Amino acid sequence: MIYCLFAIVAVISLYTARHYWFTLNRLFGFQRHPYIDTDTADWPQVTILVAAHNEEKVISHILAALMGVNYPPEKMLVVPVNDRSTDKTREIIDRFCQDHPGRIRPFHRTGGKGGKAAALKDAMELVATEVILIFDADYIPGTGLIKQLVAPFFDPEVGGVMGRVVPLNVGTNLLTRLLDLERSGGYQVDQQARMNLHLVPQHGGTVAGVRLSALREIGGWNDDSLTEDTDLTYRLLLHGWKTVYQNRSECYEEVPETWQVRIKQIMRWAKGHNQALASYGLRLLFGKHRATLRERIDGFLLLGVYIMAPVTLLGWLLALGVFYEGIAPLHGVIALLSITAYSAVGNFAAFFEIAAAARLDYTRQRICLLPFLILGFGVSIFSVSRAFVSQLMAPFTGAQFHWDKTERFRTTP
Amino acid sequence: MSAALATAGLFALAGALFLLSLMPAIVELRLKRDAQALNVIQQYAGDIRHFSFGFRSYASDLLASLERCVASGETATGTLAHGDQYLLLGRADTAQLLPPSASEKTCDFVVVAGTELTVPHGITFVKELYASRQLTGGKNCTYRAILSDDAVRLGRASKVIRWAHAAKSIHAEQDCDLYGRISSEIEIDLQVGCLFQRLHAPRIAFGLPAAQKDSAGALPLVQPTEPISSFIAAGRRLVDGDLEIPAREIVEGSIVTRGGLHIGAGAQILGSVKSNHHLTVDSGAFVAGSLISATTMHIGADCQIGGPVIAEHEIVIESGSRCGTFDRPTTVSAPVIAVEEGVVAFGTIWARHEGHAVAKP
Repeated sequence: MIYCLFAIVAVISLYTARHYWFTLNRLFGFQRHPYIDTDTADWPQVTILVAAHNEEKVISHILAALMGVNYPPEKMLVVPVNDRSTDKTREIIDRFCQDHPGRIRPFHRTGGKGGKAAALKDAMELVATEVILIFDADYIPGTGLIKQLVAPFFDPEVGGVMGRVVPLNVGTNLLTRLLDLERSGGYQVDQQARMNLHLVPQHGGTVAGVRLSALREIGGWNDDSLTEDTDLTYRLLLHGWKTVYQNRSECYEEVPETWQVRIKQIMRWAKGHNQALASYGLRLLFGKHRATLRERIDGFLLLGVYIMAPVTLLGWLLALGVFYEGIAPLHGVIALLSITAYSAVGNFAAFFEIAAAARLDYTRQRICLLPFLILGFGVSIFSVSRAFVSQLMAPFTGAQFHWDKTERFRTTP
Repeated sequence: MSAALATAGLFALAGALFLLSLMPAIVELRLKRDAQALNVIQQYAGDIRHFSFGFRSYASDLLASLERCVASGETATGTLAHGDQYLLLGRADTAQLLPPSASEKTCDFVVVAGTELTVPHGITFVKELYASRQLTGGKNCTYRAILSDDAVRLGRASKVIRWAHAAKSIHAEQDCDLYGRISSEIEIDLQVGCLFQRLHAPRIAFGLPAAQKDSAGALPLVQPTEPISSFIAAGRRLVDGDLEIPAREIVEGSIVTRGGLHIGAGAQILGSVKSNHHLTVDSGAFVAGSLISATTMHIGADCQIGGPVIAEHEIVIESGSRCGTFDRPTTVSAPVIAVEEGVVAFGTIWARHEGHAVAKP
C-alpha cells in the first residue's frame, strides 16, 4: 500500500512540476507565434466545416460571422454539416444559402452514426481543398480569424492548427466564471507553453484546421472516438505532422451554464481522452515513429490528465488507509517538510497557472474567484472518476459509448 | 464559560476566518466587476492601415475647411473634438509650423496641409501630420504619424514613431528609423541604414539606384506556372536529420527537415521548405512555395522565393533576391530581419523586433 502511495505521489509531483514549468515559461520564456504575422499571401482555397446538431439558437450567428471575414470570398467555401437536426437548423442554413449564393454549400445529414466525427467523416465528400477549418456552431469567428488559421499551413510540417477559445457568456453565473478561468489557464498558459517548448499542443476540434493530405495519410476522421480532436492530435503526431497552437487566433464560444451540462461535457471529454490513452499511449511512448523524445513524454502526460482524477482519489484513500494502519510513510522532519512543501507549492500549481493566465490576459478582479475553483475541481474530479469507472465497467455492463451534444443557452435565434 | 459555548465560539471563529478569506471572491461574484468576456476585437482584421483609417476619419471634419484655406491661400488654427489643436495649411508656409517664440523645433499641432509641403530640417511633430499633396521631409525630422494622399519623401536620419501611410510611394533616405506600421498603395523604398518594423506595399525595394528599380521584380528568375497556393498541397519529404540539396538540383514537392537545411546554388524547389534548424539558401536558388525556419535563415544573392518567408529568430536576405511577385504578393516575417540593398519584396515585411536595410558588402 505504501509503495502504491509513493508512486501516486511521484506522478502527482510530476504533473505539479509540469504546471510550474509551463507557467514559468509563459511568464518568462520565449514566446512562439511564428505564423501570426503572415498577413499577405497567395491564400489557398479553404473549406470551413461547421458542425451543427440542433443548433437553431446559434447557427445563424456563425454563418453571419463567416460571411463577414476578410478571407478572399472566391477562395472560401462554408459547409454547414447539419447532422440529423430536428429543430429549425436546416431552414436557417438554407436561408443563408439563398442569401449568399455560391459561398455556402450545406451538407444535410439525415441518418448514419451519431457524433461529430461521424458527421465530419461523411461531409468529407464535399471537401476538395487542401486546407479544412472546423468550427462548432456556437462559435463566432472574428474578421481576421480565417487568414490566421490558414497561415500555418504554408509550413509543410504542419498538419493541424488550433486557435484560442474564449468564453462569451462569462458573467452568467458562478459556473461560467469558473469555466472562463479554466479556459484561460488551459489556452493562455498550457497550450501556448506547449507551443513554445515544441511539445504537443492539442487540436481542439473547433477554431481549428487540418490539412487534407495529412488527414488522408492518417486514415481520416475516427468516428469511433468520443473526442475526435484528441484522436486527431495523436494520429497526426505519430505520422510526423505537427499541430500548432495560435494563441492570438481567438474565437468566442458559449460555455455550459448548468452543472449538469458541464458534468456531461467533462465526462465525454474524459472518456474520449482515456480512449486515446488506451489506443495510442504505449505506442506514443515506445513505438517507432517520428515524434521527438520530448513530444513522446509530453504527449503521454497530456493523455494521462483525465486518469489523474481517479488516481488522486485513490491516493487520498490510500493516505487514509496508511494513516489508520499506523504506517508512517516518512519520518520526522522529512515528513513535515514534505507535507509543508506540497501544501505550499503543489496544491497551488493549477491555481498559479490560472492566476498567471489572468495576468497575461490583463484581467484583474476575476482572479479573486480563484478560491471557488476548488468547487469546480471537486466536481471535475468526481465526474471524471465516474467516467473512468463506467469505462472500466463497460465490457461487463455492455454499455456503449455514445455522443452527447452540449446544450446551448443563447436566447436570440 | 461552558465547554460547549467555548467549542461553539471556536467553530464560529474558525468559520468567520474561513469566510474572511473568501470575502474577495464573494464580493467579485456579487458585484461582477470583471465578468465581461475577454476583449476579442471581432472587427479587427490586422490591416496595416487600421490607424491611418482611424486618423482619416478623425480628421475628416477638417477637409472642408482645408479646401477653403487652399482656395484662399490662407492658414487656420482651431481645436479638434478631442482637444488637439490643429493647423490648416492652405499654402506652403512652413513658418507656421513653429510658434515664433519656440526655443525647440517642436510642432504641437495636428498639421493638415492642402498643398505640397517641404518640411525644414530637424522639426519634431508631436501630433499627426496629414498631407493631401507630396510631403518632402527635411533631415533629422521626427514624425508621430503621417498620412498622405500623395507621395512621402523622408529626409536622412528622420524618424516615424507610430505609423505612416501614403497613397503613392514612400521613400526614406539613409539612416531613417521607421517604427510601427509603414504602408503605401504603390511602393516603399528604403535606403541603407534604415530601421523598420512593419512594411506593406505592392513593392518594397531596398537601396536600389533609380536605374535598377524599374527592372527589379519585373523579370523573375523562374516564373512559376501555378499559383503559389497550389504548392501547399505538394507531397512532402520528411528528413530526420540535416539535409543538403546539391547545386542546380530540381526537387519536386516539399521538404521538411528536423535538422538544418542547405539549398545549393541555383537549385529549384517546386514546393515548400521547412527546416527546424538553420536554413541556408545559396545564390540563385528558387523556391516556388514557402520558406520556413524554426530558427534562423540566410538567403543568398539573387534568389527567388514565391511564398511566405518565415523564421522564428532571424532572416538575412542578400542583394538581388526577391520575395513574392507583383501578382502574388507574400510576407517576410521574423523577429529580426536584415535586408541588403538590392532586395525587392512584394507584399509585407514584418520584423517584430527590428529590421535593418544594410549595405551590400
